[in-house]
Amino acid sequence: MSKPILIVGGGPAGLAAAHSLATFGQSCIVVEKEDRLGGAPILEGYAKLVPSGEWAKDAIGGMVDRASGHELVDVRTSTSVTSFSGEAGDFTAGLSDGEPVNVSAAILCTGFTHFDSANKPEWGFGTYPDVVTTTQVEQMVSSGQGVRCPSDGRKPKRVAILLCVGSRDRQIGREWCSKICCTVSANMAMEIREELPDCHVYIYYMDIRTFGLYETKYYWKSQEEFKVKYIKARIAEVTSDGEKLIVKGEDTLVKRPITIPFDMVIHAIGMDPNVDNPDLSSIFGVDLEPHGYIDKASSYSASGLTNKSGVFVAGAATGPETIDDSIAQGKAAAMAVLEQRQLAARLVS
Amino acid sequence: MPIHEKSLIRPENLQVHENLEVEGVDVSGHWSTFIESRVVSDYNEAIEDEISALPGGENIHRCWQCGSCTNACTVHAINADFNPRYWIYLIRMGMESELLRDKDIIWQCVSCNKCTYACPRDVFPEGVMKATAHWLELKGHTPKSHSTIFDEIFSEQVIETGKIEDGRTIRRFFKQTGQALRQPWLEEMVKRMLRNLPIGMLTRMGMANFIQPKTSGWSGARDAIKEYVAEQEAHHRAALGLDDLVKMAETELKTGAAK
Repeated sequence: MSKPILIVGGGPAGLAAAHSLATFGQSCIVVEKEDRLGGAPILEGYAKLVPSGEWAKDAIGGMVDRASGHELVDVRTSTSVTSFSGEAGDFTAGLSDGEPVNVSAAILCTGFTHFDSANKPEWGFGTYPDVVTTTQVEQMVSSGQGVRCPSDGRKPKRVAILLCVGSRDRQIGREWCSKICCTVSANMAMEIREELPDCHVYIYYMDIRTFGLYETKYYWKSQEEFKVKYIKARIAEVTSDGEKLIVKGEDTLVKRPITIPFDMVIHAIGMDPNVDNPDLSSIFGVDLEPHGYIDKASSYSASGLTNKSGVFVAGAATGPETIDDSIAQGKAAAMAVLEQRQLAARLVS
Repeated sequence: MPIHEKSLIRPENLQVHENLEVEGVDVSGHWSTFIESRVVSDYNEAIEDEISALPGGENIHRCWQCGSCTNACTVHAINADFNPRYWIYLIRMGMESELLRDKDIIWQCVSCNKCTYACPRDVFPEGVMKATAHWLELKGHTPKSHSTIFDEIFSEQVIETGKIEDGRTIRRFFKQTGQALRQPWLEEMVKRMLRNLPIGMLTRMGMANFIQPKTSGWSGARDAIKEYVAEQEAHHRAALGLDDLVKMAETELKTGAAK
């Protein structure tokens, strides 16, 4: 009987890896620091997922049930890895709940941290209650409460979604594109228009990156069927006149300054590297790439390799990633682990 | 001149100070107040809905401002101020005052439809130009264009009789647009017709000026077309909030039905 595989993080990537390994008869231990599995889609209360349109609690909840119900998957919630030593095929991982475990490999599925909008104070988050994040709006939708202004619970008549909040911004040290916020925002704009047909939704963008097939399903559809308006403007500041939020910036298509009143402003927050990445880097001996995500080795021979033999990585731990791709990467890393085990077995015999 | 610089040198933004002294320095002369007037302080969300309710304007909300229409435009090549991309943007964002600055050139679209074939999003810019010109007329921003007057005279006659009689159309058109009936080119045309056309045809044409010929059994078609036109007009007026005119159209409908 081979040693179990350590999977760090119980989000989409970790759940996919655990299910794949268990299906091939490989036992694994899923260590999750929060008190339940599911990762960002469950913990942050996402509503309908892009691009399937399925509710997060059904889609990701299904993955949680499937993985945690498997006899070869040992789930440890509210637990984190405190130490990690040994070499490929024979690692010892110290866990915060006491018992160290002996594992042959580890897959880091440690995900990302949502950008904290308080780091862009000029855009009003934390100052004005009706300035919210995409995550908060996801929660308004998933809870069934509906999109309402937090200040007084009224239905907004005019909503602005600001893209690239915490992305593509050297000023705050975040040069990356968070990849999915354009699509999520277009989807959210349609959800708002569907729930509140009288509410006008404006999206302020620098570039629209609804890549691949999302172009039709989100960017075009939001304009053609839902009449969402896209304005090319990087917003300078969000203030208030006491009644309405005032969005200031420059409309770069007519090259004129704008000061437009809104009921609600939504920050399309980006994906930061997981705040735990420096700790993970020193515990597991894996390098971080310049932005602070876990660095991937070349992916032409096997998927999910890091600089350290026996330690793999998958999902948004490696950079901004979609849920679908995180799941694919979790499965690919599981396959890489199984390949390595097969090779080792052949060498021994 | 680039669009964004237009507002900087508008004559109405220039102020003349004959004797202006600031802190002991004489700064008399021309002053531009462009900074204040450039700021867009709100979106008028009605305009896009109004223009998209008119025939041709239906797809305006699809525009993503690529500029293919303006690039392809026949009129733009002659007059750089003729910029469909820019007007579509102004309409979508409800910048009415900006749009009205160009009200006297929007109708100049020649309907070549090059933009229609260039547009990657099927916005149908030629239709939008037509709808916008129509909107400007309905809202009273521009007088009825000669082509609208001609269309009305022409279609009124067709709807009424099922036929078109050229002499009558031309006479009415010239009268309504304040033009003299005796135009050298027209006189020349009539002379040559008298010289060359067979007597039978000339007689029929001459008679048609006195007795208005009708297509037999036309009244059913006439009533159906009239009803449809009245419906469409009522719809457009309602969309543009022209309430009084809508009431008039409704009254016409009722009296028409009673007859």
